[in-house]
Amino acid sequence: MYYKIGVDVGGTNTDAVLVSHGNNILAKTKQSTTLDVSSGIETAIKKVLLDANIPKEEIKYIMLGTTHCTNALVERKELNKIGAIRIGLPASSAIPPMIDFPEDLKKLLGNHVYMVHGGYEFDGRLISPLNEKEVKDCLLKMSGEIESLAITGIFSKTLPDQELQVAIWAKEVLGAAVKVSCSHQVGGLGLLERENAAILNAALQGVALKMVKAFKETVHRLELSSQLFIGQNDGTLMSLEQAQDFPVLTISSGPTNSIRGAGALSQVDSGIVIDVGGTTSDGGVLVNFFPRESTQAAQIGGVLTNFRMPDVVTIGIGGGTIVRFKEDKCQLGPDSVGYLLKEKGISFGGFTLTLSDFFLANDQLQIENILEKNNLKERIQVISGRNFQNALELVKEQIQLSIEKLVDKLKTDPKEIPVIACGGGAFLLPKKIAGASRVLFPEHLEVANAFGACIAQISSEDEKIVNTLQNDEKKELEKLLSNVKIELLKKGASEDSINVLTKESIPLAYLPGAVKLKVKLCGDLIS
Amino acid sequence: MRKISTKDIEYIAMGSTVLGTGGGGDPYIGKLLAKEAIHKYGDVSLIAAKELKDDALVVSIAAFGAPMILVEKLFSGEEFKRAFDMMEAYLGKKIEAIIPAEAGGLNGVIPFAVAARKKVPLVDADGMGRAFPRLEMTTFTLHGIPVSPITQADEKGNKNIYHTIDNTWGETLVGATTIQMGGSCAIGCYPMSGAQVKKAAVHGIVTYAETLGKAIIDAKAKNQNPIDSLIEKAAAIKLFTGKISNVTLKTEGRWNKGVCEISGLEKNIDSQMTLDFQNEFLMAKKDGKPVAITPDLIVLIDAENAQPITAETIQYGTRVVVLAMKADAQWRTSEGVKLGGPEKFGYKEKYLPVEELNKNNKDVL
Repeated sequence: MYYKIGVDVGGTNTDAVLVSHGNNILAKTKQSTTLDVSSGIETAIKKVLLDANIPKEEIKYIMLGTTHCTNALVERKELNKIGAIRIGLPASSAIPPMIDFPEDLKKLLGNHVYMVHGGYEFDGRLISPLNEKEVKDCLLKMSGEIESLAITGIFSKTLPDQELQVAIWAKEVLGAAVKVSCSHQVGGLGLLERENAAILNAALQGVALKMVKAFKETVHRLELSSQLFIGQNDGTLMSLEQAQDFPVLTISSGPTNSIRGAGALSQVDSGIVIDVGGTTSDGGVLVNFFPRESTQAAQIGGVLTNFRMPDVVTIGIGGGTIVRFKEDKCQLGPDSVGYLLKEKGISFGGFTLTLSDFFLANDQLQIENILEKNNLKERIQVISGRNFQNALELVKEQIQLSIEKLVDKLKTDPKEIPVIACGGGAFLLPKKIAGASRVLFPEHLEVANAFGACIAQISSEDEKIVNTLQNDEKKELEKLLSNVKIELLKKGASEDSINVLTKESIPLAYLPGAVKLKVKLCGDLIS
Repeated sequence: MRKISTKDIEYIAMGSTVLGTGGGGDPYIGKLLAKEAIHKYGDVSLIAAKELKDDALVVSIAAFGAPMILVEKLFSGEEFKRAFDMMEAYLGKKIEAIIPAEAGGLNGVIPFAVAARKKVPLVDADGMGRAFPRLEMTTFTLHGIPVSPITQADEKGNKNIYHTIDNTWGETLVGATTIQMGGSCAIGCYPMSGAQVKKAAVHGIVTYAETLGKAIIDAKAKNQNPIDSLIEKAAAIKLFTGKISNVTLKTEGRWNKGVCEISGLEKNIDSQMTLDFQNEFLMAKKDGKPVAITPDLIVLIDAENAQPITAETIQYGTRVVVLAMKADAQWRTSEGVKLGGPEKFGYKEKYLPVEELNKNNKDVL
């Protein structure tokens, strides 16, 4: 018997759950996210430990989902000084690295950008060989001025050796302390997007180091000896070492955790998940326990990348959404009082009418220390200029319309599928939704994200292009599969739990014989 | 004559995606290439064909290759210069202007990069008025203008010159060697006189692309409906509103072939649409009956953000609007239909103009 703690740090709240190894929730909490992040995590973990009354030595794993990296990027704060080397001359020089970055980020990160000879053709032939002197000359120019180096080679997804060689030279010239970020480990095919991912990853390695250190210290202060993991954006876990090396993979792990958590709480493998927060409702699609991935290129901090991001559609409906009445219609948001609900909401003595006020007045939501109910209804009548029941009906009608539109947008076919509600604002959701076979409100839905963080699965993936005129496609696919499997076992998956999530070969247009292979596996953490 | 700046390229690139009718390669890379070249070498002069001297040498410079390669092995810029220089050297004559071969997709913007670099004007015309998958599918071919000599260069410095017996062989031979070059290259082709351009090109197409791009981008910036704005500026027919319900995709030979199924919404709630594509969208059928057929243009637009959708990135569940636009009159002749019509792509349906197919449909006009 052992226990796990899942923690999810969001913009407003830091949630934690303590669960048994059979995934039963024994304690849960919602704490405010603190400015330093760590103290919020500490308070949350302390609270669930206390409530569950479990001996500390039985907490075997702690999983953290966090927005540290997303915030650092959006706010352009604490980013590492970086260098970037692209391997591929004479190809690619017309479009240099960072060309399409937002200007402020380019200024911040773009001081040491170099292109050197090298790279491969799609079929593995050299574009040109690496030139040691040329690479080392670039490295010397960066000496003492960078903390992380992003290395990107043309077709490094097929042959990564040049990237790895440059990484070795970087350590020689710049010292072992310099961090490297090789593109073949952080992105897919598509040079610019993969290079962008590698550059963002390099820029985040300092933040990641601090985050990991703070997490370790927090856990240490709490006298826990648990094994620690960080959630990544495909819903699986990585070790602290991996998180330091590949911080960019943690971006957008929040929605993923909610989607997976809601699915696990309701024991539904496929359906639509709506996570209602203070400002927005985020709708996502659960397919075989994993979020459906978006096929659109993902912009992170204004930079185009080719990440596997969960396909999330957001609408402006949350607990703090401001309600206005115009003639015989009511308008919801799109603005919200957000985390200031307890200052601005009229239930709390403020002057702004929010969605939460209606549900508090109607007894569908309970919060302590608010205005007396009749008093609250009275205030709503004054502000809305109509009787309470009528105002409430209009509000619910609007919610119904918006949510049904959201559900319809997420669905891929007319078949009715389950809708799972989660998040602190789930009380807003109607019990019946057109297009939904049923609407589920699982127990513990308000901490679905923290619960999602502690579903202990890990994954590995890779993709490459092969020339089937020279190589046997089946053999190549099996080879890729077995490499990905070895990688997954190295990360700590138990062999009998390994599941194939993706195994595909897609022929390429205008290139007879060339095929893109892609493999993704997941497995359970050995316990 | 007027100058084209990096800001204009944004509009033209967006318009090229519309004219790409689902194919032609994503202009994103082309846009970056053109903007970087203009930034480095200065604005490009865009001229009308009538500004050309009749004996001026005009050449098409184009990117050639597989979309997947173009986004991984980016261009060096040198390959285009080489294809240009080779043509001048081979013909022993200065090139006085560049004409895009294909205004749809990537090749709608790439020629700006070469024009900036070589400081020659770009002609406001092309040989397709849209995108097509093969080099011989041009109005130039319809007018008997040979694609050859074709100059070909890669980023490594390899070069080739072709003399082919007809324009179809041009595509076949250049296609074969492009694979050996690593899947992408630059070509110079259709060397012709100013007089020939005036007769054989689709005129005003660059300005048209710019107008379409502007319709979308500016309407978005002003919070107006970008799709309505596009329909108005393009004089397009709104064929269908719906949601993508299925996509089947296979690669046959060198082409992505497939069918995209759309379930109707709003006015079309009781209807289904299918779009047949082979890189480009070639046939739209509503409830089994054709409502737009190549060479007329079929454009799939994301209803949420008014972004034209390429066939490679069709995603289940996307809300879309399907538009059709008339092809240039040269495509609507019997010769034109033979070269760019449904039979060329193996469909048994006969070509009928889009306005003909929709004349009894009061919903769409």
